Amino acid sequence: MPSSPTRNWPPLPDPWTLLAWVALVGVGLVALYSTTHGPAADYLGSGVRDNFYRQMVWAGVSAVGIAIALLLPLRVLRQLAYPAYGVTIGLLLLTLFVGAEVKGTRAWLALGPFRLQVSELAKVGTVLAVAQLLSGRHTRGASNLNFALKAVALIVVPGVLVILQNDLGTALVFFGLVPIMLFWAGLPLPVIALMISPAVAGYLALLSVPVALGFASLFTAGLWWTSQRRYVAALAATFTGGVTAAVSLVLNKILQPYQVDRLLSFTNPGAEQFRQGVGFNLVQSKAAISSGGLWGQGFMQGTQTQGAYVPEQTTDFIFSVIGEEFGFVGSVVTLGLLAALLLRLITLGSDVKHPFGSIVAAGAVGVYLIHIFINLGMVTGILPVIGLPLPFISYGGSAMLAHTALLALVLTTHMRRDDLSIYGY
Amino acid sequence: MDEYEVRVRIYAAVVVVLFLILGGRLAQIQLFNGAGDGGAAGNAVRERPVEPARGAIYDRDSTLLVDNQPTYTIMLTPRYFDRSKTGLLADLMGVADSTVTRKLEAARAWNPFRPSRSFRKVSFDTFSRVQEHLYELPGVSHEIELRRRYHTAARSAHALGYVREISNQALAQNRDDGYRAGDFIGKMGLEKAYESALRGKRGSEFVLVNVRGSEIKPYRNGQNDEPPEGGYDLHLALDHEVQALAESLFVGKRGAAVALDPDNGEILSFVSEPSFDPSIFSRSVSGPVWDSLRTAPTDPLFNRAVRSGFPPGSTWKPFMSLVALEEGLLTENQRLDCPPTYRIGRRAFKNHQMKDEGRITVEKALEVSCNTFFYQLMDRMELKTWHDWAREFGFGQEIPLDIGEQASGLIPDSSYYDRMYGRWTDGYTINLGIGQGDMSVTPLQLARYTAALANKGTLPSPHFVRKMVHPRTGEVRRPDLPPAESIPIDSSSFETVREGMHRVMTDGTGQWVQIPDIPSAGKTGTAQNPHGEDHSLFIMFAPYDDPEIAIAVAVENAGYGATAAAPIASLMAEKYLTGSIADTWERRYWKTQLRDSVRSAPPKGFGAPSDSSVTEPPSQAPSADPLRTDAGARTDSVGAAPPASSAGRD
Repeated sequence: MPSSPTRNWPPLPDPWTLLAWVALVGVGLVALYSTTHGPAADYLGSGVRDNFYRQMVWAGVSAVGIAIALLLPLRVLRQLAYPAYGVTIGLLLLTLFVGAEVKGTRAWLALGPFRLQVSELAKVGTVLAVAQLLSGRHTRGASNLNFALKAVALIVVPGVLVILQNDLGTALVFFGLVPIMLFWAGLPLPVIALMISPAVAGYLALLSVPVALGFASLFTAGLWWTSQRRYVAALAATFTGGVTAAVSLVLNKILQPYQVDRLLSFTNPGAEQFRQGVGFNLVQSKAAISSGGLWGQGFMQGTQTQGAYVPEQTTDFIFSVIGEEFGFVGSVVTLGLLAALLLRLITLGSDVKHPFGSIVAAGAVGVYLIHIFINLGMVTGILPVIGLPLPFISYGGSAMLAHTALLALVLTTHMRRDDLSIYGY
Repeated sequence: MDEYEVRVRIYAAVVVVLFLILGGRLAQIQLFNGAGDGGAAGNAVRERPVEPARGAIYDRDSTLLVDNQPTYTIMLTPRYFDRSKTGLLADLMGVADSTVTRKLEAARAWNPFRPSRSFRKVSFDTFSRVQEHLYELPGVSHEIELRRRYHTAARSAHALGYVREISNQALAQNRDDGYRAGDFIGKMGLEKAYESALRGKRGSEFVLVNVRGSEIKPYRNGQNDEPPEGGYDLHLALDHEVQALAESLFVGKRGAAVALDPDNGEILSFVSEPSFDPSIFSRSVSGPVWDSLRTAPTDPLFNRAVRSGFPPGSTWKPFMSLVALEEGLLTENQRLDCPPTYRIGRRAFKNHQMKDEGRITVEKALEVSCNTFFYQLMDRMELKTWHDWAREFGFGQEIPLDIGEQASGLIPDSSYYDRMYGRWTDGYTINLGIGQGDMSVTPLQLARYTAALANKGTLPSPHFVRKMVHPRTGEVRRPDLPPAESIPIDSSSFETVREGMHRVMTDGTGQWVQIPDIPSAGKTGTAQNPHGEDHSLFIMFAPYDDPEIAIAVAVENAGYGATAAAPIASLMAEKYLTGSIADTWERRYWKTQLRDSVRSAPPKGFGAPSDSSVTEPPSQAPSADPLRTDAGARTDSVGAAPPASSAGRD
């Protein structure tokens, strides 16, 4: 690593980010230890104990990954952006044909003893590629419609491939990245609002069609009032009202009743028709979190956790373990660590004056934010059950590696931000 | 602030807002229980009742009669059973794999989701082995139940009663008392009467269960557990050796025997035969077994000692003598005729075998059991006088007792005869003078009356339980007994009657059943009845001077009082007083006779539904047929030599 004394940047990554990473991985390992070495382990199958050590190995691998990423010059990173994107798209395609299917999702590539969830890596490739595109020599961010559309295409292609893998949760991450990255890259705010509005309207339509329609009217009126342009208002009405109509149509006419139950059960998972079926996860997860109270039941003492009541309690529902055994205090500490990391990453991104660095940071924060909000929203029952892991905490090597890689990218661009000349397009 | 800066802040603000939403939701769920699902405690913590040990029952010498035996059951829940563990379970249980498979199939056929009691009554060793491996045996659970265990040869079925699983109906009535389905409850006798003392208090263990319902570990290391509180032990007045002897002598007979301590009313022995083995209820009673108990024509569940009414026959004569003496109808040394027949109007009432004893005193009348002597007394006595004195002696009413239901027996008054017969004359009531006709008494009433004869005028309160002892604290509770009642008759009259009864044992119908070397007093009774063979009755107390035991025995359809009831009573008294049976030829003869030969004849019209009147409430028991009282009563007398005399000559 060439380190010239003339350089005035400290050759060190941001310590707070590293600290938050270590703390979050630690929280995840504690929760994982509780479920794999507590009383629950006795009947979860003999392999469950190994999951803890496997995750330790993944954490170690991820740490090494951070170190490697920090050694890479930014130039190399930028040059690798498109090839990396291309490789991940290729792997996604490969997975569609030769992937291993787990619980109905064909998202894993078997590499000897390891199984790699390619869609996780695709997030990294996509973030890199979009950053590279929008920080190109001839772009002025996403305010240039041409580049904005290209960026959307870069994100949507892997998103569609992931949908084909039947992994709705990860696909949502890609689609959620679209407004976030474009917002950061400078797309006008009303357009961003337009892009987000269908998601809000759709969510509200699941809860109550009249409320969704109310939101649609307010939103349309608001955009029309701020933009004073009729076509914007028309788009707003189409996006929000249209999505509301579409959602109620899909719910009532297209989807099978069991699919509707899956979507809607989160509103009342304890209902008689749900609690032993589609609502089971949620009832048990909420019961677990609720039983934590203020201080929690104590490490390896959670009655729900050690009774293995919550399915997927090491992966998507791992927060139920934290909530039950460490209570509201533990939950808030975890939440605080996540929020602190995200806010710190935003600060790091804004410190990098070059668009590449800041867009990578915004993309990483976007990926984390979507994961965190959907995961915790699901675990606490304010969102439908959508399978997404909690970054750094849930058991799962690919996600750990991918999320850490994103972090490492932000760290390295921030550390070497002076290598990126504002004029160095 | 440039536009870029604004976007950074908006982004940060969005992050903060979304995290606040999540934090608020967590606060709602964790601090205010907004999940609204009752939380995890109702889900993962299961309260497991810990049954208290039901109180044990001891006899008067603190010999253990009844206690509890844990029975271990291994249960299978097929839905959760891991088939790959079949071999392991079979090894632990010490059975073949195929046995486990078969049990599993049977359980599945019943209900795949609920635990089936697949291996009942396994040994403690087997149970412990399986219990140690429960954690690797999903779908396998266990149950420990305490069942009643009976220790002595004496069944004492009607005294002890039995416990059974509570019925749904009883459960609905007793829910407030904390009974649950599957609990055992006393159904008869002492088990029923002392249910609240014996039962104890249920404890609780809280355990964590996993999503499959298997238990993981104690909840909070058992901090919340409540240990069960055992029930009180009952210490009875029963003598199990006398009881066992009496039961063995009753073989093949129907009837009852009650022995009291005349000083305090303690029940020394309490027999009702036929009976049943209370230990069969320690297992789950199969339908056929229960039905056969319930519908047997001999009605083994029926408590004859307190619920069947017998005409007392000549055992009534001491009562008549006492009343006549007290009412001034007779004095101690006054002689009355004892002719072969006594006429009332056109009807003749006869002595047994038409004996003529000449002019005799009341003592002699008791000794020879002269019917005509007592017909005269009854003829001179108002029915009301007779009735009031009979009630004074505790007849015609339920008497104090610490278990169960009783029959009151029948002591008629004039309104009874008005109601039954419309017009009636002295001929209808004259048989009451010799304990026949429209009257009945229960064996328990008869025993209490015998106790009063023994102690010269005090009717004690019969009771089984001397004390209840708390197994842990040693606290002693004594039952509240109603006070003894005293009979307002001069004790000199009692002396006279007792002397007559003593002569029964030395020179009269009881001479063949004397207790070797212990003077006693008694009175035989041979009660005619519309149900076939005569009922055999005997009352007795001993030792004569300071009685320690008063016994009444009634054997249905077994003939003379002297040949069935008397030897039973005498052997019981001897056993109680000496602890053994003297090895004399008379005693050997009676034991052999009673065990091998003396039997209750089948009741008349055996099996017909109308024929169980002896075992029905006494209002129906005595004959309602006036011709019945007309036929005259044959009672036993000295002349009616019991088979014993001929046997003696052999």
